Amino acid sequence: MRSLLRAVALGLGLMLTATAAFADYESELYAKAKKEGELVWYTTLIVKQAVRPLVAAFQKKYPGIKVRYSRANSSGTATKVLSEGKANRIIGDVFDGTSNAEALKDANLVEKWTPRGSSAYPSQYRDPDGFWSATHQYFLTPGINTSLIPKAEAPKTYDDLLDPKWKGKMAWSPRSTTSGAAGFIGNMLISRGEEKGMAYLRQLAKQEIIPVSASARKVLDQAIAGEYPMALQIFNHHTVISGRKGAPVDWIPMEPVTNIIAAIGVIKGAPHPNAGKLLIEFMLSKEGQKVLQKANYLPAHPDVPALVPTLKPKEGKFKANTMGLKMVHRELKKWKKIHSDLFL
Amino acid sequence: MPGWFRARQTEYAVPGVLLAVIIALLVLPPIWFLVQGSLYTTNADFSRGELTLEYYDRLIREPKLFTSSLNSTVFAVGSSVVALLFGAVLAWVVERTNAAFKWLAYLTTIISLGTPFILYVGAWLFLLGKAGPINDLYRLLTGSSGVLINVYSMSGMILVEGFLWSPLVFLLLSATFRTSNPEYEEAARICGASVWDTIRRITLKLAMPAVLALALLVFIRAIEAFEVPALVGLPGKINVLTTDIYLDLSDVVPPDFGHASSFSVFLLVVVGILLAFYSRLSKSADRYQTVTGKGFRARMFDLGRGRHIATAVILVNFFVILVLPLLALLWASFLPFFQPVRLRGLSLLTLENYRAVLNADYYLGLLWNTLFVAAVSATAAMAITLVAGWFAARRKPGAWILDQLATMPLIFPGIVLGVAVMQIYLQVPIPIYGTVWILIIAFVIRYLPYGMRYSYAGMLQIHQELEEAAGVCGATPMTTLRRIIAPLLAPAVLSGWLFIFLLAARVLSLPILLAGPDSQMVAVEMFDLWNNGQSTELAALGLVWTAVMTVIASLFYYTARQTGATAYGN
Repeated sequence: MRSLLRAVALGLGLMLTATAAFADYESELYAKAKKEGELVWYTTLIVKQAVRPLVAAFQKKYPGIKVRYSRANSSGTATKVLSEGKANRIIGDVFDGTSNAEALKDANLVEKWTPRGSSAYPSQYRDPDGFWSATHQYFLTPGINTSLIPKAEAPKTYDDLLDPKWKGKMAWSPRSTTSGAAGFIGNMLISRGEEKGMAYLRQLAKQEIIPVSASARKVLDQAIAGEYPMALQIFNHHTVISGRKGAPVDWIPMEPVTNIIAAIGVIKGAPHPNAGKLLIEFMLSKEGQKVLQKANYLPAHPDVPALVPTLKPKEGKFKANTMGLKMVHRELKKWKKIHSDLFL
Repeated sequence: MPGWFRARQTEYAVPGVLLAVIIALLVLPPIWFLVQGSLYTTNADFSRGELTLEYYDRLIREPKLFTSSLNSTVFAVGSSVVALLFGAVLAWVVERTNAAFKWLAYLTTIISLGTPFILYVGAWLFLLGKAGPINDLYRLLTGSSGVLINVYSMSGMILVEGFLWSPLVFLLLSATFRTSNPEYEEAARICGASVWDTIRRITLKLAMPAVLALALLVFIRAIEAFEVPALVGLPGKINVLTTDIYLDLSDVVPPDFGHASSFSVFLLVVVGILLAFYSRLSKSADRYQTVTGKGFRARMFDLGRGRHIATAVILVNFFVILVLPLLALLWASFLPFFQPVRLRGLSLLTLENYRAVLNADYYLGLLWNTLFVAAVSATAAMAITLVAGWFAARRKPGAWILDQLATMPLIFPGIVLGVAVMQIYLQVPIPIYGTVWILIIAFVIRYLPYGMRYSYAGMLQIHQELEEAAGVCGATPMTTLRRIIAPLLAPAVLSGWLFIFLLAARVLSLPILLAGPDSQMVAVEMFDLWNNGQSTELAALGLVWTAVMTVIASLFYYTARQTGATAYGN
């Protein structure tokens, strides 16, 4: 009994020390960050939905640090950092995205740094090489305009998409990211194997899918506006965000749903590294994760569930195909080529 | 040739050479970089890889090259025709006839020129889209479930691009019509020619150099356009030459500079050939000088009953080019998400978008930054081309080289020039990367040809006898330029300034890769908003921005007209 008590006391003591240590670390980081005064964040997050609330919460918690941000997709963000690296004039401090982290690592432009906060996360949310951490995850699947396609008539499986009645009714982003044609193609090749996957894609190419050259958010907006009844490879949480505002939209758990994580990291040679690190620690903290949760994103922190849990496989009872960032980086060019050969 | 005149010729040599060096330093490095870029591979960290002919090989084998070239040509010809038709008819009606409501034409032009293309294209896609009000109306009237207009087609692309450029054609041609001497037209009328004959045989012929120059500008601009091909053409699977370049640069990490550059070199050759044709066409341009030492005052045609048709032209143009897209934006700006025009939408209306735009201090900084960059670029480009244009028009020694150099940047698609400029200043130790100065340099390069056309065209209309008179009276070349040429050219220069300012403030393709967090531009922000799926906030920001630009544009337009009037002694 005594030994048990001692163990509990020891445990508590360790926890308190750990908390105190983190508080020390945090206030030290904040002091350094405050001296830097600002940070530049190259983000792929949707500004209205996620960036603004995150920045507001961060600036409220850490007064004296101004966050400036610039939004682009993964490749646009990578291009910015790569050119700054080449010019030897790094302006950005923090980057995030799905298919850019590994490309920037290749160019030696990511600082090797493990945030303290990431220890609370399962290992799949950390770069094994120690360059990036994941803040949240995405699920990519078709979305429909419910006033044009009643839920009961909506296609259920990928094979249903081959039905002639959907010809010319589907849109996707032609950009080479996981949230576009390339990601859809990758998902098919991985889940069905090269041969069957290609056979399926050749069939699908006859369906005249409309390429909307913008982010998946925009493709979904086009579906909401009634321009196209169905949007492929869109973010399932976006349908929830728009649905709450009264938009006629829903998503279909088409199996397997593409699953990918959103990584965040510090740019090597960043002019405000401490402010950048503080932002990342904030985003990984429960507090930051709750901001993402409130925005209807899908937090990676094990203790912060999604606001709409059914957006995730276990609660929503759907199968997902998780794609690793390294694999995506390796295969993306191939998927892009298949896209332009078959669909453009 | 009298002795004093020959002495004068050598006086021009030093400033001429200096000017040539300045322009060459601006325009040649990007071309050098482009050619180099097409011959080397790019490594993961953006550094140059090995020498290769792979990109040219790929270009030649490209099965889509022929289709894309054909599409580009059809698109460019079509949009030039639409823009010229709309713009030229309007310019003539407004400047040379007694039609009513002329101010509406200026209003349309000024507001359209201040409206970024991305906003305009978005508005047209909304209006003409499958779920847009025009197809909605068609379905309501016919009960069918199809569409009347498929905007995602070649004709849709031509129509939208033509609409985009018609205000520019109007602006440039109205200057030509306004300053052309009506004596010839009056002579024709006195000799008994009908109004139509006079237009056909005198007005059109006199305006020909200007019309051709404009047709060429619009043609080239359409060949290298990317907003319309990307937003209208791509969903309709109509690929043009720029679509490939654009996707190579925006869609792969690291960007495929090699392929994009080889495509650009191909475009460079195509445009180079076109320019050679153009310079042959304009060789005998001094036949068209009508502003001589003699005084004149423009007079209007009395169209009689035709006046109502002319008025209708102005009204239709006002409605189609201005009112419809603005209404579409207005509707979108009050919505929480994009919705077709329905009664149901009325219950959703919100001020949320305006609140987001007006409350963000970020947007205010963006606005100032954009105005600053546009104003400095326009001033620098006009200052350089005012002198260069004079050299070229008067065929001074080396004039040909100056004209060629200043016209050369026309070959650059905006996005390629952006990449080229970026790469150059990444290598040069001047620390301007990521600042507004890199944008300004890029804009000056980009708009030299436009400034040159304005200065040169204005110059062609001023007869050399005025300068010779000044020379006889003992004025130095600089004094002549300052006291005689500059005031007479003031309308052309101010119009040119205004034009470059408005273009720089709204262009997207060039700054998209150069704008950083310290040097953000409105058009780039709008493109991000469009991409982001914040179209409704984009509409609100767009309307606020358009209002600001309209005020500035009208101010300068008014000044230009006033100055013009003074210069001609009216």
